[in-house]
Amino acid sequence: MVSKKKKKYSSGEGAQFMTRKAALKKLQLSLKDFRRICILKGIYPREPRNRKRAQKGAGGIKTLYHTKDIKFLLHEPIIWKLRDLKVYQQKIRRARAMREYGKMKKYFRDYPAIKIDHIIKERYPSFVDALRDLDDCLTLCFLFSTFPSIRRVPRDQSMLCRRLTVEFMHAVIVAKALRKVFISVKGYYYQAEIEGQTITWIVPHHFSFEPQTKDEVDFKIMSTFVEFYVMMLGFVNFKLFNSLNLVYPPKLTAGFSSDNDKGLVDKRAYVSERIAAMNLSVARKVGANEVEEFPEIDLFETEDQDPQKLEEAKQEAEKIKFLKTMFKGLKFFLNREVPREPLVFIIRCFGGEVSWDKDHFVGATFDETDESIAYQIVDRPSMDKQYLSRYYVQPQWVFDSVNARTLLPINKYLMGATLPPHLSPFIDKTRDQVYIPPEQRALDDPEYKPPGDDDESDEEIEEASDEDKEEQSAEESETEEQILTKQYKAEVEQDSPSEDDDDDEGDDFEKKKIAKEKKKKMAVKTGIPHKEHPYKKEIEDKQAFRLREKLVRKKHRNLYKSMKAGQEKRKKEIWLLRKKRRLHDEKTKEERKTTKRNQKMEALNASA
Amino acid sequence: MLLEIKKKRVSKKNKAAWRKYSDIRDVEEFLEEQRLEERLGRFDTKVDDELFVVDLKGDGVEEKPDIKPLSAKQRKRAALEETPRCFQILLPSSKVEDPNKKRNISKPVGSRPTALSKLTAKRKSEKGVLQKKIEGARKNRKIARQEKKKSKAVLKNFDKNLWGGSLPEVKGIPETLCDDFISPEAQLHNVPTTQRLRPKPPLPKTLVTRAAVETPHPGVSYNPSFQEHQELLQDVVKHEEKMMKKEAHINRVTSKLFRRVTTKSKENQWIEEMSEGLPTPHNPQIEEHSDDTDNEYRAINPPVQNKKKDHKARRRQKEMILEKERLKREKIDKKKITDIYKLRKLHTSITKEEKKLEEDRKKRESKKQEEEEKALPALNSNKPPAKEPDFVPPEDLSGDLRRLSTKTNLLRERFESLQRRGALAGSKVMMKKKRKVKSYFKAGHKVTDNEVDKYLEKIKKSKSKVSK
Repeated sequence: MVSKKKKKYSSGEGAQFMTRKAALKKLQLSLKDFRRICILKGIYPREPRNRKRAQKGAGGIKTLYHTKDIKFLLHEPIIWKLRDLKVYQQKIRRARAMREYGKMKKYFRDYPAIKIDHIIKERYPSFVDALRDLDDCLTLCFLFSTFPSIRRVPRDQSMLCRRLTVEFMHAVIVAKALRKVFISVKGYYYQAEIEGQTITWIVPHHFSFEPQTKDEVDFKIMSTFVEFYVMMLGFVNFKLFNSLNLVYPPKLTAGFSSDNDKGLVDKRAYVSERIAAMNLSVARKVGANEVEEFPEIDLFETEDQDPQKLEEAKQEAEKIKFLKTMFKGLKFFLNREVPREPLVFIIRCFGGEVSWDKDHFVGATFDETDESIAYQIVDRPSMDKQYLSRYYVQPQWVFDSVNARTLLPINKYLMGATLPPHLSPFIDKTRDQVYIPPEQRALDDPEYKPPGDDDESDEEIEEASDEDKEEQSAEESETEEQILTKQYKAEVEQDSPSEDDDDDEGDDFEKKKIAKEKKKKMAVKTGIPHKEHPYKKEIEDKQAFRLREKLVRKKHRNLYKSMKAGQEKRKKEIWLLRKKRRLHDEKTKEERKTTKRNQKMEALNASA
Repeated sequence: MLLEIKKKRVSKKNKAAWRKYSDIRDVEEFLEEQRLEERLGRFDTKVDDELFVVDLKGDGVEEKPDIKPLSAKQRKRAALEETPRCFQILLPSSKVEDPNKKRNISKPVGSRPTALSKLTAKRKSEKGVLQKKIEGARKNRKIARQEKKKSKAVLKNFDKNLWGGSLPEVKGIPETLCDDFISPEAQLHNVPTTQRLRPKPPLPKTLVTRAAVETPHPGVSYNPSFQEHQELLQDVVKHEEKMMKKEAHINRVTSKLFRRVTTKSKENQWIEEMSEGLPTPHNPQIEEHSDDTDNEYRAINPPVQNKKKDHKARRRQKEMILEKERLKREKIDKKKITDIYKLRKLHTSITKEEKKLEEDRKKRESKKQEEEEKALPALNSNKPPAKEPDFVPPEDLSGDLRRLSTKTNLLRERFESLQRRGALAGSKVMMKKKRKVKSYFKAGHKVTDNEVDKYLEKIKKSKSKVSK
């Protein structure tokens, strides 16, 4: 017998995928509901390897879903909820059409809510998974927290976003988890490190809400995303507060409970309320003792123990340790014109205390007249009344200090000064193989001194003296060192007593002889220090390295080679640019000297 | 019915027989008449006007009532007062009055207080049972409302550690089975299928590998260093150039493909095409030209003579071909010998070629891979928009937090980022279609020219009256 003919596309890629329409039919949902459930459950359209086959021979580009994904959705209990909701919505529609507004209002009041916490657990089986996906969540929540009530966005959503974002910021403040900040034209970038996960998010600048045109962004979809993210952020907050021994939910100011939102009509009042909420300290759990905040890093014996790397890691840890308490005990006062929200957040994150003018905004903790204020943050060219006991700095100082992980010298950031550029802390590691001009390097780490610096100090001397003198002074400095070393050597020689002088006395010659012989055997010879030839060692190291290179697997050999070649190339480029710069500097210096000399000559000629 | 009476005496034994042989016609007629009267009302009670109409026009002339047709609204209003059509069937069709108007309506048991129930009610009211009941109902309603509110608020109170692990709810075990003495197997058996481990295909690669919040270019700082800002500017310029190139290409491929013609020349062309084959008007220039030729007929391709080659020519041709062939062969043979000595060179050149090809292939592959990594996911016929660098021109950069101006829309950026990561299919800007509305006059509001004239006349008349 002939076996039954196999139908086309019943296996392989054709069976693996499913068009959206087919999915809708299978799930018996409307497109609207399908979109919603896909976002909630984290199911996304797929891009097949062979589109023609995946679409069962149909042309064009169709939205495809994994058949397994759709089967996975089939068992979701929320689908039943959605179907019920459809009926409910029909009721509402009918009530509206029949003008039974009382009934409609009642329906709206009793609108069934969908519980999705099981989905969150399902999508993020562990807490770390949730933290990893927090970037998008935080950015969207912070964004939606600035929104007024709009069509297509549930009314209480932005309210909830506001509450949860403030709670999250509190958690970051207590955990001292903030690492990097960056002011871009788009908004404030923040990067925090929570449980070893780096989380980056953007907070929009505080402007008035910009009206969004409907056709650019699908509000309904975004609001569904936010619906899910809000839930997720809530549970993440709970867990964070729990692990930090804090009471959840924290008691914030009145503006955050939904009962009182009628009282706050003014948006500005609302904003100040929100900032005031951030300035509160959160209640700790009773009986929770302070954990040692900064545990020492443990050193593990790893296979490739690179002392340099270890040292780097240690330094990094040290820096972070300092960063966490950078502003501890310092009091900051924010002037009226300064963007308060980011500054309060940052300063409190690193242990500082913040306050502002209590006549203008609520939540001020101390007055401007307080003498213990260390820094007043000002964004205006001048002020009438200034206190001697504090520094007046511009807000960028705070951001730059955080990124530099030290309290930067304030002289560049004083009131009215033109600010140095605000550099991004989000620079990838490959940038260490890029030529950085000495000016920028000096900005990046304050310990670095550009090579031109010494010359500058010399130049001042130079102005008074001639060229030759300068050389002499250089020689002098060398000779001084030599003199010092000579002195030291002399001293050492004096200190060591000469032993040979004492050995003249003796009785018997033989005894002496024996003694001598014995002594010879016992004699302590001046040891020859084991000299390590640095050059030889280098060669040995290199050979060992080459041997190790040979052990690179064939699979990775090409990659390794290309990597090495790239490194060499970049090194060469840097070297070339450095050389160019050096030559250029020398040339300019020479030119300056000649011009100066000429000027002097001219002056002399003129006087003569 | 009366049939022919043949028998003198008939049996009227039963009802049917009785009916058969008795004459009841007059009775039936009377009854019929009475029923008719009852149905239509008595004839003699009606007024003359109802019964008769005075014919003024005469026969053949149709009378047209001078009534304006009712407007749709009026018609609707009139219809409102009528009994709905669905209820008309319930109305009595005859005008016979109800013979027994006063019926004995019996109320259901319990609707009328009995003497006993009156007593108990009195006793209860004295005790205050009713009051209590009302209060209780009110309380219950309040509790129900609060419960509902609470159940809603639960969604905003995040009060459990989802990742705690110890919570039975988290594992999906029903609360009723959380006791110690129930075996874990039984507990697991009752976990809903959705919460059991179920294979779900991994997320799309684009979604996993691409960062949700990309690290910003250092040039987008509010107060960037000159160099970084210039770098960003270079990126923007590159992006813009690409766009311009694309646009130019589209222009070249579409509108530039066609020759552009001025309207005048187009007209001329049209005239020329249309007048093809028509006798041309008198044109002296053309005629002059035609004068040059004599009137003899000449073919375009004159006939060719088949001129045969002679033997000598043929032999020469053959020899030449052979000579050519010989030279060619010789050359090839010579090359063969020289190639033996060139072998090494050839080898190197071949290897060189191969190496080059291999390198090119590798380059192509790596480039392809790189592009694949960056490629925007095609989930839809709409392509997601490519990322545009957000650049602020130097004149708008104030370097000051107070006077920061930005044109980037963060929400849009988020939306597009989701699209670029493949979480959403690309979307297109949908313009709202304007509804096509057909306009017309309402029946009662139509104003014709005739009516306008009438109205004007009326005004004139009234004016003249006033003046009089």
